[in-house]
Amino acid sequence: MISAILGAEFHPPSTKDFVFDCYFSVDLFGIQICFNFIIALVLASVLIYVLLFLFAFRKPRTVPGKLQALMEMGLEFVREQIAMPMLGPAADRFLPLLVTFFFFIFFMNIFEVAPWVNFSASSRVAFPLVLAVIAWVTYNAVGIAKHGFLGYLRFTCIIPSAPAILRYTLLLVIEFVSNIVIRPITLTIRLAANFVAGHFLLALAFLGTEFFFLSGGLSYLGLVVTAPISVALVAFEVFVAILQAFIFAILTASYIGGVLAEEH
Amino acid sequence: MHALIGSILAQAEEHGEEVSEAADLYPAAGELIVGLLAFAVLFFFTWKWVLPKFKEVLEQRKEQIQGEMEKAEATRGEAEKLQEEYRTQLAGARDEANRIIEEARATADQLRRDLQAKAEEESQAIVGRAQEEIRAERDRVFQELRAQVGSIAVEIAERIVGQSLDERAHQRLIDEFIDEVAPGAGVNGNGKGTATDSAKDREGGA
Repeated sequence: MISAILGAEFHPPSTKDFVFDCYFSVDLFGIQICFNFIIALVLASVLIYVLLFLFAFRKPRTVPGKLQALMEMGLEFVREQIAMPMLGPAADRFLPLLVTFFFFIFFMNIFEVAPWVNFSASSRVAFPLVLAVIAWVTYNAVGIAKHGFLGYLRFTCIIPSAPAILRYTLLLVIEFVSNIVIRPITLTIRLAANFVAGHFLLALAFLGTEFFFLSGGLSYLGLVVTAPISVALVAFEVFVAILQAFIFAILTASYIGGVLAEEH
Repeated sequence: MHALIGSILAQAEEHGEEVSEAADLYPAAGELIVGLLAFAVLFFFTWKWVLPKFKEVLEQRKEQIQGEMEKAEATRGEAEKLQEEYRTQLAGARDEANRIIEEARATADQLRRDLQAKAEEESQAIVGRAQEEIRAERDRVFQELRAQVGSIAVEIAERIVGQSLDERAHQRLIDEFIDEVAPGAGVNGNGKGTATDSAKDREGGA
Protein backbone atom coordinates (compact mmCIF):
# COMPACT_ATOMS: atom_id res chain seq x y z
CA MET A 1 0.00 0.00 0.00
CA ILE A 2 2.81 2.36 0.96
CA SER A 3 4.74 1.31 -2.07
CA ALA A 4 1.75 2.13 -4.21
CA ILE A 5 1.78 5.71 -2.91
CA LEU A 6 5.53 6.22 -3.23
CA GLY A 7 6.00 4.38 -6.46
CA ALA A 8 8.96 2.24 -5.38
CA GLU A 9 9.23 -1.27 -3.98
CA PHE A 10 10.40 -1.62 -0.40
CA HIS A 11 11.95 -4.94 0.55
CA PRO A 12 12.07 -5.31 4.32
CA PRO A 13 14.96 -7.29 5.76
CA SER A 14 14.18 -10.87 6.76
CA THR A 15 15.94 -13.86 8.26
CA LYS A 16 16.87 -14.81 4.71
CA ASP A 17 19.59 -12.16 5.13
CA PHE A 18 21.32 -14.67 7.41
CA VAL A 19 21.36 -17.47 4.86
CA PHE A 20 24.06 -17.61 2.23
CA ASP A 21 24.75 -19.90 -0.70
CA CYS A 22 27.78 -22.15 -0.57
CA TYR A 23 30.81 -21.23 -2.69
CA PHE A 24 31.76 -24.87 -2.40
CA SER A 25 31.25 -27.76 0.05
CA VAL A 26 33.69 -30.07 1.74
CA ASP A 27 32.80 -33.43 3.22
CA LEU A 28 34.63 -33.77 6.53
CA PHE A 29 34.05 -37.15 8.22
CA GLY A 30 30.54 -37.26 6.90
CA ILE A 31 29.73 -33.69 7.89
CA GLN A 32 28.99 -31.36 5.04
CA ILE A 33 30.93 -28.13 5.53
CA CYS A 34 29.48 -25.41 3.38
CA PHE A 35 32.01 -22.67 2.59
CA ASN A 36 29.90 -19.59 2.25
CA PHE A 37 30.10 -15.87 3.02
CA ILE A 38 29.80 -16.52 6.77
CA ILE A 39 32.74 -18.92 6.86
CA ALA A 40 34.72 -16.42 4.81
CA LEU A 41 33.94 -13.76 7.42
CA VAL A 42 35.10 -16.02 10.24
CA LEU A 43 38.29 -16.82 8.38
CA ALA A 44 38.79 -13.12 7.69
CA SER A 45 38.35 -12.40 11.40
CA VAL A 46 40.92 -15.06 12.23
CA LEU A 47 43.29 -13.68 9.62
CA ILE A 48 42.95 -10.12 10.89
CA TYR A 49 43.48 -11.30 14.44
CA VAL A 50 46.62 -13.22 13.55
CA LEU A 51 48.06 -10.58 11.23
CA LEU A 52 47.50 -7.67 13.59
CA PHE A 53 49.22 -9.44 16.45
CA LEU A 54 51.94 -10.77 14.17
CA PHE A 55 52.79 -7.34 12.86
CA ALA A 56 52.46 -5.77 16.29
CA PHE A 57 54.74 -8.22 18.10
CA ARG A 58 56.92 -9.64 15.33
CA LYS A 59 59.75 -7.33 16.29
CA PRO A 60 58.61 -5.98 19.63
CA ARG A 61 60.29 -2.82 20.74
CA THR A 62 60.53 -1.32 24.19
CA VAL A 63 59.38 1.96 22.71
CA PRO A 64 56.40 0.62 20.76
CA GLY A 65 55.25 1.74 17.35
CA LYS A 66 51.64 2.70 16.72
CA LEU A 67 50.33 -0.80 16.02
CA GLN A 68 52.26 -2.38 18.85
CA ALA A 69 51.04 0.31 21.25
CA LEU A 70 47.45 -0.25 20.10
CA MET A 71 47.57 -4.03 20.50
CA GLU A 72 49.38 -3.68 23.80
CA MET A 73 46.60 -1.38 24.91
CA GLY A 74 44.05 -4.05 23.96
CA LEU A 75 45.91 -6.77 25.84
CA GLU A 76 46.41 -4.46 28.77
CA PHE A 77 42.69 -3.73 28.76
CA VAL A 78 41.76 -7.42 28.88
CA ARG A 79 44.29 -7.99 31.63
CA GLU A 80 43.55 -4.96 33.80
CA GLN A 81 39.83 -4.52 33.23
CA ILE A 82 38.63 -8.11 32.75
CA ALA A 83 41.06 -10.68 34.12
CA MET A 84 42.43 -8.86 37.18
CA PRO A 85 39.17 -7.70 38.76
CA MET A 86 37.46 -11.06 38.24
CA LEU A 87 40.29 -13.51 38.82
CA GLY A 88 42.90 -11.66 40.88
CA PRO A 89 46.01 -13.81 41.23
CA ALA A 90 44.69 -16.40 38.74
CA ALA A 91 44.35 -13.72 36.05
CA ASP A 92 47.43 -14.68 34.05
CA ARG A 93 46.43 -18.35 33.97
CA PHE A 94 43.21 -17.58 32.10
CA LEU A 95 44.48 -14.62 30.11
CA PRO A 96 44.95 -16.61 26.86
CA LEU A 97 41.31 -17.71 26.95
CA LEU A 98 39.97 -14.25 27.78
CA VAL A 99 42.17 -12.50 25.22
CA THR A 100 41.05 -14.95 22.53
CA PHE A 101 37.41 -14.46 23.44
CA PHE A 102 37.63 -10.70 23.50
CA PHE A 103 39.54 -10.17 20.28
CA PHE A 104 37.95 -12.99 18.27
CA ILE A 105 34.46 -11.81 19.17
CA PHE A 106 35.41 -8.21 18.53
CA PHE A 107 36.87 -8.93 15.09
CA MET A 108 33.76 -10.96 14.17
CA ASN A 109 31.45 -8.25 15.51
CA ILE A 110 33.11 -5.34 13.80
CA PHE A 111 32.28 -6.72 10.34
CA GLU A 112 28.72 -5.67 11.11
CA VAL A 113 29.74 -2.08 10.34
CA ALA A 114 32.38 -2.81 7.69
CA PRO A 115 31.28 -1.11 4.47
CA TRP A 116 30.00 -3.51 1.75
CA VAL A 117 30.00 -6.35 4.31
CA ASN A 118 27.60 -5.20 7.00
CA PHE A 119 27.31 -8.66 8.35
CA SER A 120 28.73 -10.20 11.48
CA ALA A 121 29.46 -13.88 11.95
CA SER A 122 28.38 -13.32 15.56
CA SER A 123 24.80 -13.14 14.32
CA ARG A 124 25.12 -16.78 13.28
CA VAL A 125 24.32 -18.52 16.53
CA ALA A 126 26.83 -21.32 15.88
CA PHE A 127 29.86 -19.14 16.67
CA PRO A 128 28.65 -17.66 19.95
CA LEU A 129 27.47 -21.16 20.85
CA VAL A 130 30.92 -22.70 20.29
CA LEU A 131 32.55 -19.98 22.39
CA ALA A 132 29.91 -20.26 25.12
CA VAL A 133 30.41 -24.01 25.31
CA ILE A 134 34.15 -23.49 25.63
CA ALA A 135 33.55 -21.01 28.44
CA TRP A 136 31.10 -23.46 30.07
CA VAL A 137 33.53 -26.37 29.85
CA THR A 138 36.33 -24.20 31.20
CA TYR A 139 34.63 -22.89 34.32
CA ASN A 140 33.07 -26.26 35.15
CA ALA A 141 36.40 -28.01 34.63
CA VAL A 142 38.14 -25.45 36.82
CA GLY A 143 35.47 -25.96 39.48
CA ILE A 144 35.74 -29.72 39.38
CA ALA A 145 39.53 -29.56 39.45
CA LYS A 146 39.37 -27.37 42.53
CA HIS A 147 36.54 -28.97 44.50
CA GLY A 148 36.17 -32.45 43.02
CA PHE A 149 33.05 -33.43 41.09
CA LEU A 150 30.61 -33.75 43.99
CA GLY A 151 32.34 -30.99 45.89
CA TYR A 152 31.89 -28.74 42.90
CA LEU A 153 28.20 -29.61 42.57
CA ARG A 154 27.73 -28.85 46.26
CA PHE A 155 29.75 -25.67 45.90
CA THR A 156 27.72 -24.34 42.97
CA CYS A 157 24.25 -25.53 43.92
CA ILE A 158 24.09 -25.11 47.67
CA ILE A 159 23.99 -21.78 49.43
CA PRO A 160 25.19 -22.49 52.97
CA SER A 161 23.65 -19.35 54.46
CA ALA A 162 20.12 -20.17 53.19
CA PRO A 163 17.56 -21.87 55.46
CA ALA A 164 17.90 -25.64 55.16
CA ILE A 165 14.41 -26.18 53.83
CA LEU A 166 15.10 -23.89 50.88
CA ARG A 167 18.76 -24.76 50.60
CA TYR A 168 18.08 -28.36 49.63
CA THR A 169 14.94 -27.84 47.60
CA LEU A 170 14.01 -24.78 45.64
CA LEU A 171 17.35 -22.96 45.86
CA LEU A 172 19.20 -26.11 44.90
CA VAL A 173 17.25 -26.33 41.68
CA ILE A 174 17.50 -22.62 40.97
CA GLU A 175 21.22 -22.52 41.59
CA PHE A 176 21.83 -25.58 39.44
CA VAL A 177 19.80 -24.26 36.57
CA SER A 178 21.18 -20.75 36.70
CA ASN A 179 24.81 -21.73 37.21
CA ILE A 180 25.11 -24.84 35.09
CA VAL A 181 22.30 -24.77 32.54
CA ILE A 182 21.46 -21.16 31.83
CA ARG A 183 24.90 -19.56 31.68
CA PRO A 184 26.06 -20.96 28.31
CA ILE A 185 22.64 -20.27 26.84
CA THR A 186 22.60 -16.64 27.95
CA LEU A 187 26.17 -16.17 26.75
CA THR A 188 25.18 -17.51 23.34
CA ILE A 189 21.91 -15.71 22.94
CA ARG A 190 23.15 -12.37 24.29
CA LEU A 191 25.86 -12.20 21.67
CA ALA A 192 23.95 -13.70 18.74
CA ALA A 193 20.72 -11.79 19.36
CA ASN A 194 22.61 -8.51 19.64
CA PHE A 195 23.96 -8.96 16.16
CA VAL A 196 20.78 -10.37 14.65
CA ALA A 197 18.95 -7.34 16.00
CA GLY A 198 21.82 -5.06 15.05
CA HIS A 199 21.71 -6.39 11.52
CA PHE A 200 17.97 -5.82 11.28
CA LEU A 201 18.35 -2.30 12.58
CA LEU A 202 21.10 -1.45 10.14
CA ALA A 203 19.32 -3.16 7.25
CA LEU A 204 16.11 -1.32 7.96
CA ALA A 205 17.85 2.03 8.22
CA PHE A 206 20.01 1.50 5.14
CA LEU A 207 17.24 0.00 3.00
CA GLY A 208 14.85 2.71 4.14
CA THR A 209 17.36 5.39 3.20
CA GLU A 210 17.89 3.79 -0.19
CA PHE A 211 14.17 3.42 -0.74
CA PHE A 212 13.39 7.04 0.10
CA PHE A 213 16.28 8.19 -2.03
CA LEU A 214 15.16 6.18 -5.04
CA SER A 215 11.45 7.04 -4.67
CA GLY A 216 12.05 10.75 -5.18
CA GLY A 217 9.51 13.52 -4.63
CA LEU A 218 7.99 13.83 -1.20
CA SER A 219 9.79 10.74 0.04
CA TYR A 220 13.01 12.79 0.32
CA LEU A 221 11.46 13.95 3.59
CA GLY A 222 11.94 10.40 4.85
CA LEU A 223 15.69 10.77 4.32
CA VAL A 224 15.74 13.41 7.02
CA VAL A 225 14.86 10.65 9.47
CA THR A 226 16.56 7.57 8.09
CA ALA A 227 19.92 9.02 6.97
CA PRO A 228 20.99 10.41 10.38
CA ILE A 229 19.64 7.28 12.04
CA SER A 230 21.77 5.12 9.73
CA VAL A 231 24.90 7.02 10.73
CA ALA A 232 23.99 6.93 14.41
CA LEU A 233 23.30 3.19 14.20
CA VAL A 234 26.71 2.52 12.71
CA ALA A 235 28.31 4.31 15.65
CA PHE A 236 26.01 2.41 17.98
CA GLU A 237 26.98 -0.93 16.42
CA VAL A 238 30.67 -0.13 16.86
CA PHE A 239 29.92 0.47 20.51
CA VAL A 240 27.93 -2.77 20.70
CA ALA A 241 30.75 -4.68 18.99
CA ILE A 242 33.20 -3.63 21.69
CA LEU A 243 30.67 -3.95 24.49
CA GLN A 244 29.54 -7.47 23.61
CA ALA A 245 33.12 -8.71 23.28
CA PHE A 246 33.83 -7.17 26.66
CA ILE A 247 30.71 -8.65 28.25
CA PHE A 248 31.38 -12.13 26.92
CA ALA A 249 34.96 -12.07 28.21
CA ILE A 250 34.15 -10.53 31.57
CA LEU A 251 31.25 -12.93 32.22
CA THR A 252 33.49 -15.88 31.43
CA ALA A 253 36.10 -14.44 33.77
CA SER A 254 33.49 -13.91 36.46
CA TYR A 255 32.20 -17.50 36.12
CA ILE A 256 35.74 -18.83 36.47
CA GLY A 257 36.39 -16.44 39.35
CA GLY A 258 33.17 -17.64 40.97
CA VAL A 259 34.19 -21.29 41.00
CA LEU A 260 37.70 -20.39 42.16
CA ALA A 261 36.39 -18.44 45.14
CA GLU A 262 36.52 -20.10 48.54
CA GLU A 263 33.08 -18.93 49.51
CA HIS A 264 29.93 -18.44 47.56
CA MET B 1 -6.74 -13.06 12.53
CA HIS B 2 -4.87 -16.14 11.50
CA ALA B 3 -6.44 -15.93 8.11
CA LEU B 4 -5.28 -12.33 7.81
CA ILE B 5 -1.66 -13.22 8.58
CA GLY B 6 -1.90 -16.11 6.18
CA SER B 7 -3.16 -13.87 3.46
CA ILE B 8 -0.42 -11.30 4.11
CA LEU B 9 2.18 -14.05 3.89
CA ALA B 10 0.65 -15.33 0.72
CA GLN B 11 0.61 -11.83 -0.67
CA ALA B 12 4.22 -11.36 0.29
CA GLU B 13 5.18 -14.57 -1.44
CA GLU B 14 3.23 -13.51 -4.47
CA HIS B 15 5.27 -10.30 -4.56
CA GLY B 16 8.46 -12.38 -4.29
CA GLU B 17 9.22 -11.04 -0.84
CA GLU B 18 11.28 -13.07 1.61
CA VAL B 19 9.62 -14.70 4.54
CA SER B 20 11.42 -15.01 7.86
CA GLU B 21 11.79 -18.50 9.24
CA ALA B 22 13.30 -19.50 12.59
CA ALA B 23 15.28 -22.23 10.88
CA ASP B 24 17.28 -19.59 9.00
CA LEU B 25 18.99 -18.68 12.27
CA TYR B 26 19.82 -22.20 13.44
CA PRO B 27 23.45 -23.18 13.59
CA ALA B 28 24.82 -25.40 10.87
CA ALA B 29 27.16 -28.27 11.67
CA GLY B 30 29.83 -26.85 9.39
CA GLU B 31 29.72 -23.54 11.21
CA LEU B 32 30.22 -25.26 14.54
CA ILE B 33 33.29 -27.08 13.27
CA VAL B 34 34.76 -23.97 11.64
CA GLY B 35 34.04 -21.96 14.79
CA LEU B 36 35.76 -24.54 16.96
CA LEU B 37 38.78 -24.73 14.65
CA ALA B 38 39.00 -20.96 14.42
CA PHE B 39 38.89 -20.66 18.18
CA ALA B 40 41.50 -23.40 18.59
CA VAL B 41 43.88 -21.71 16.17
CA LEU B 42 43.48 -18.32 17.79
CA PHE B 43 43.70 -19.72 21.30
CA PHE B 44 46.99 -21.48 20.63
CA PHE B 45 48.34 -18.50 18.75
CA THR B 46 47.45 -16.25 21.67
CA TRP B 47 48.62 -18.66 24.32
CA LYS B 48 51.91 -19.70 22.75
CA TRP B 49 52.95 -16.61 20.86
CA VAL B 50 51.07 -13.37 21.55
CA LEU B 51 51.10 -13.38 25.34
CA PRO B 52 54.68 -14.59 25.74
CA LYS B 53 55.77 -11.83 23.37
CA PHE B 54 53.68 -9.34 25.27
CA LYS B 55 55.15 -10.47 28.57
CA GLU B 56 58.63 -10.29 27.10
CA VAL B 57 58.05 -6.74 25.93
CA LEU B 58 56.73 -5.68 29.31
CA GLU B 59 59.64 -7.36 31.05
CA GLN B 60 62.11 -5.71 28.72
CA ARG B 61 60.48 -2.35 29.20
CA LYS B 62 60.49 -2.76 32.94
CA GLU B 63 64.14 -3.70 32.89
CA GLN B 64 65.01 -0.81 30.65
CA ILE B 65 63.15 1.69 32.78
CA GLN B 66 64.64 0.24 35.93
CA GLY B 67 68.10 0.26 34.37
CA GLU B 68 67.70 3.83 33.27
CA MET B 69 66.46 4.88 36.67
CA GLU B 70 69.37 3.15 38.33
CA LYS B 71 71.73 4.80 35.89
CA ALA B 72 70.18 8.17 36.58
CA GLU B 73 70.45 7.52 40.31
CA ALA B 74 74.10 6.55 39.91
CA THR B 75 74.80 9.64 37.80
CA ARG B 76 73.10 11.81 40.36
CA GLY B 77 75.10 10.27 43.17
CA GLU B 78 78.30 10.79 41.24
CA ALA B 79 77.39 14.38 40.51
CA GLU B 80 76.67 14.98 44.17
CA LYS B 81 79.97 13.40 45.12
CA LEU B 82 81.78 15.55 42.58
CA GLN B 83 80.02 18.65 43.83
CA GLU B 84 80.97 17.81 47.39
CA GLU B 85 84.53 17.26 46.24
CA TYR B 86 84.59 20.57 44.44
CA ARG B 87 83.14 22.30 47.44
CA THR B 88 85.83 20.87 49.70
CA GLN B 89 88.47 21.71 47.15
CA LEU B 90 87.16 25.23 46.90
CA ALA B 91 87.13 25.62 50.65
CA GLY B 92 90.64 24.18 50.76
CA ALA B 93 91.78 26.58 48.08
CA ARG B 94 90.29 29.50 49.97
CA ASP B 95 92.03 28.40 53.15
CA GLU B 96 95.23 27.96 51.23
CA ALA B 97 94.91 31.41 49.72
CA ASN B 98 94.27 32.92 53.14
CA ARG B 99 97.21 31.05 54.52
CA ILE B 100 99.46 32.25 51.70
CA ILE B 101 98.34 35.84 52.13
CA GLU B 102 98.89 35.62 55.88
CA GLU B 103 102.29 34.09 55.31
CA ALA B 104 103.22 36.74 52.79
CA ARG B 105 102.12 39.42 55.20
CA ALA B 106 104.18 37.84 57.96
CA THR B 107 107.16 37.49 55.68
CA ALA B 108 106.85 41.10 54.57
CA ASP B 109 106.62 42.23 58.20
CA GLN B 110 109.60 40.18 59.11
CA LEU B 111 111.51 41.50 56.15
CA ARG B 112 110.64 45.08 56.99
CA ARG B 113 111.60 44.56 60.57
CA ASP B 114 114.86 42.95 59.51
CA LEU B 115 115.66 45.73 57.09
CA GLN B 116 114.80 48.33 59.67
CA ALA B 117 117.01 46.67 62.21
CA LYS B 118 119.77 46.27 59.72
CA ALA B 119 119.49 49.88 58.60
CA GLU B 120 119.55 51.03 62.18
CA GLU B 121 122.49 48.87 62.87
CA GLU B 122 124.26 50.14 59.82
CA SER B 123 123.54 53.72 60.63
CA GLN B 124 124.75 53.15 64.13
CA ALA B 125 127.79 51.47 62.73
CA ILE B 126 128.40 54.42 60.45
CA VAL B 127 127.93 56.87 63.29
CA GLY B 128 130.17 54.77 65.49
CA ARG B 129 132.79 54.61 62.81
CA ALA B 130 132.54 58.30 62.24
CA GLN B 131 132.90 58.94 65.92
CA GLU B 132 135.78 56.54 65.99
CA GLU B 133 137.37 58.34 63.10
CA ILE B 134 136.82 61.69 64.72
CA ARG B 135 138.26 60.45 67.90
CA ALA B 136 141.24 58.98 66.06
CA GLU B 137 141.72 62.21 64.16
CA ARG B 138 141.52 64.20 67.29
CA ASP B 139 143.99 61.91 68.96
CA ARG B 140 146.26 62.13 66.01
CA VAL B 141 145.96 65.91 65.92
CA PHE B 142 146.44 65.98 69.62
CA GLN B 143 149.50 63.82 69.30
CA GLU B 144 150.86 65.92 66.52
CA LEU B 145 150.06 69.04 68.39
CA ARG B 146 151.70 67.75 71.45
CA ALA B 147 154.84 67.01 69.51
CA GLN B 148 154.79 70.42 67.91
CA VAL B 149 153.94 72.13 71.15
CA GLY B 150 157.05 70.59 72.57
CA SER B 151 159.28 71.81 69.79
CA ILE B 152 157.52 75.13 69.74
CA ALA B 153 158.03 75.46 73.41
CA VAL B 154 161.66 74.69 72.94
CA GLU B 155 161.88 77.24 70.15
CA ILE B 156 160.09 79.79 72.15
CA ALA B 157 162.33 79.09 75.02
CA GLU B 158 165.33 79.50 72.80
CA ARG B 159 164.06 82.77 71.52
CA ILE B 160 163.25 83.97 74.98
CA VAL B 161 166.57 82.98 76.10
CA GLY B 162 168.18 84.52 72.97
CA GLN B 163 166.74 88.06 73.59
CA SER B 164 165.93 89.87 76.62
CA LEU B 165 162.39 90.57 76.65
CA ASP B 166 160.03 92.61 78.59
CA GLU B 167 156.66 91.42 79.26
CA ARG B 168 155.18 93.24 76.35
CA ALA B 169 157.79 91.87 73.95
CA HIS B 170 157.22 88.50 75.42
CA GLN B 171 153.59 88.64 74.62
CA ARG B 172 154.24 89.90 71.16
CA LEU B 173 156.62 87.09 70.61
CA ILE B 174 154.08 84.51 71.53
CA ASP B 175 151.49 86.09 69.28
CA GLU B 176 153.86 86.21 66.42
CA PHE B 177 154.76 82.65 66.95
CA ILE B 178 151.26 81.45 67.05
CA ASP B 179 150.49 83.40 63.94
CA GLU B 180 153.42 81.77 62.35
CA VAL B 181 152.45 78.32 63.38
CA ALA B 182 148.78 78.46 62.66
CA PRO B 183 147.93 81.34 60.47
CA GLY B 184 144.16 81.81 60.81
CA ALA B 185 143.70 78.69 63.03
CA GLY B 186 142.31 78.29 66.54
CA VAL B 187 141.17 81.79 67.54
CA ASN B 188 140.91 82.62 63.85
CA GLY B 189 139.36 85.36 61.72
CA ASN B 190 140.20 88.33 63.80
CA GLY B 191 142.46 85.99 65.71
CA LYS B 192 145.10 88.61 66.12
CA GLY B 193 142.78 91.14 67.45
CA THR B 194 141.14 88.73 69.78
CA ALA B 195 144.40 87.42 70.97
CA THR B 196 145.54 90.91 71.52
CA ASP B 197 142.34 91.76 73.28
CA SER B 198 142.56 88.75 75.51
CA ALA B 199 146.19 89.61 76.23
CA LYS B 200 145.17 93.14 77.04
CA ASP B 201 142.41 91.79 79.25
CA ARG B 202 144.78 89.57 80.99
CA GLU B 203 147.18 92.55 81.30
CA GLY B 204 144.50 94.72 82.63
CA GLY B 205 143.50 92.03 85.06
CA ALA B 206 147.04 91.65 86.19
